[in-house]
Amino acid sequence: MNGWTGQILRVNLTAKTFKKETFSEDFARKWLGGRGFAVKILFDELAPGIDPLGPDNKFIVALGPISGIPAPNTGKAIVAGKSPITGGYGDGNLGTRVAEQLRRAGFDALIVEGRADGPTMLVIQDDKVEFLPADEVWGKGTYETNDWIYAKYGKGVGVLNIGQGGENMVRYAVVRSLEGRAGGRTGMGAVMGSKLLKAVVVKGTNPIPQADLAGMKKSGAGDLREVQQMDKKAGWSIQGTNGVLAWCNEVNALPVRNFRKTQHPDAWKVDGERLNNARVATYGCPNCTMRCGIAIHDDEGREAELDYENVALLGPNLEIFDLAQMASLNYLCDDYGIDTMSSGCVLSFYADAIDHGAVAGTYGFNDLKGSKRLLGEIARRSSDIGNILAEGSMRAARKFGHGSIDYAMQVKGLEVAAYNCKFIPGMALAFGVSPIGAHHKESWIITFELKQTSRESYGPEKAQKVIELQRIRGGLFESIVSCRFPWIELGWGLESYPKYFNLVSGLNWTLDDFWVISDRIYSLIKLFWLREYPQTDRKADYPPAVWFDPANVDTEGPIAGKHLEYDKYDGLLQHYYDLRGYDKRGIPTKATLERVGLAEEGRAAEKYGKLT
Amino acid sequence: MKITVKLIGPFVQLSGFSEKELDVPDGTTADELIVIVSIDKSRPKIVTRNGRAVGPDEALAERDRVVISPIYSGG
Repeated sequence: MNGWTGQILRVNLTAKTFKKETFSEDFARKWLGGRGFAVKILFDELAPGIDPLGPDNKFIVALGPISGIPAPNTGKAIVAGKSPITGGYGDGNLGTRVAEQLRRAGFDALIVEGRADGPTMLVIQDDKVEFLPADEVWGKGTYETNDWIYAKYGKGVGVLNIGQGGENMVRYAVVRSLEGRAGGRTGMGAVMGSKLLKAVVVKGTNPIPQADLAGMKKSGAGDLREVQQMDKKAGWSIQGTNGVLAWCNEVNALPVRNFRKTQHPDAWKVDGERLNNARVATYGCPNCTMRCGIAIHDDEGREAELDYENVALLGPNLEIFDLAQMASLNYLCDDYGIDTMSSGCVLSFYADAIDHGAVAGTYGFNDLKGSKRLLGEIARRSSDIGNILAEGSMRAARKFGHGSIDYAMQVKGLEVAAYNCKFIPGMALAFGVSPIGAHHKESWIITFELKQTSRESYGPEKAQKVIELQRIRGGLFESIVSCRFPWIELGWGLESYPKYFNLVSGLNWTLDDFWVISDRIYSLIKLFWLREYPQTDRKADYPPAVWFDPANVDTEGPIAGKHLEYDKYDGLLQHYYDLRGYDKRGIPTKATLERVGLAEEGRAAEKYGKLT
Repeated sequence: MKITVKLIGPFVQLSGFSEKELDVPDGTTADELIVIVSIDKSRPKIVTRNGRAVGPDEALAERDRVVISPIYSGG
């Protein structure tokens, strides 16, 4: 089968067994790869209601038809499972050599089941699988673990590993790879930790099946050069993702002080210019054409790699406006293997909760020392408060009470990314309807909202744009498995992706074929959630209450007095549901399921939750 | 008239400044300002003033703070 290896590796940690399984061409064409494979496997194999941190959950690594193929930015993998922080479907992507190595070993996906009897490193070398002890690095951070693995196997192998956060099942623990890559902020590191799986190491030596090997090689090599030239001309990599920080500050979209404020006069101190000036190294993913990982020295002299989300949420959001200080928090999150975004939101929530009298404590904003201490206590669950905050802001708010859930910056349990939507309704919708909880990877429409429509609008054009971007970002890129940056940041043509796909598969697909798959994937994710939360309703798709709060408005500046409005947001949500073919609870109707080829899955889900 | 121009991201390096006050002719439009600050007109961009987008033919006003940014896409 060209385009896919046609095989999945299934590993059971309890029994220390493994088997190679084949999948059909029909399965491949219906689900494409990556997120598509992951959600279909999890839907079929997980019983609803299982503990995401128990042995019944499954940890999945899934690749797509162009993963690891030399072409622009294809060095990415999807990690997925039932999410410990949301209780729904969870996944994430990260740059890693596993993308190429697992496919060279002969597999498009890895399914890890059960729970090991001690800290374990899973080593896959083509069709040989070993279950090796990892006691030596259990309790160690991700940097030391990575070095330990490289010392044993060399730097060319694919590695996924976890730090203390994953070991201690912090609900927003991530999976780490390479020098600074992280993925699976829905708690996939905690899923690995719950299985005592410290690391996965992969080395493959086989060719990846491709219909037109020479054509793909030629096309991929030419496009790699072309995208590199585009980046050079555009200058995007000079400031990388953090270029947007100054803009967010200018248009009142920056999270400051747990999202209470949208702008700060000191924001320039941590912007893209300052970051570029402080740069000591640059990192990227395999096959990257526009390396975005800008590393600087933190306040303890360690190298820390920064991106916009990390800077904004661990910097201005905590009222820390010193790059080196902020970088040290980022370093700790990376080393502990806990998500930088959720960590920033959880700390800011805690400071805010103390401010508002919901809980007693000495921590506060602009508290570097306290932030460092708390991150350690969270990762190790070594104090009462660390243990509470390791559960995420939603669960912490339930514990604190006093209405603090209103300013816990999360949707469905997952903390929001670094865009303050106090007066950006469409982006608030994008967070609300993201299928894994609040995340910007599915859809980001702030520029569209400001430029193509009005900021005040709650019109259907915004819902339509969210869907268009979900199809591209959350559907195409997460399933063909490639980084979206060449397209979103440089304008690299989307038509390149069916071109690559057709070269490797020998098929003749257009972008429309990918949109059908994308809608199928989003619908199945919704069914996964319905099984877990049969009583769900549209309120689950509401963003944090504080954005609607008249008492939380900016008191000065261009959006002074502005806030989201419930009735209008609900109308915008209805536009989204109508365009998607979802019912009033946000669940695909039977007619929609039929249309996207999920009638059978609908019948399976209906045993647990009603369909209309 | 005097306006303040703030450039974002790679425009800082490409135009050689981050933020400065400029004296431009009365009625200068957003598109004309793009030329004044030496940004490639064909490059996708968004021009904002007070947190709101400014159309290409829209005239700027005395003491405006105008922000010119490439089209970011949220990483």
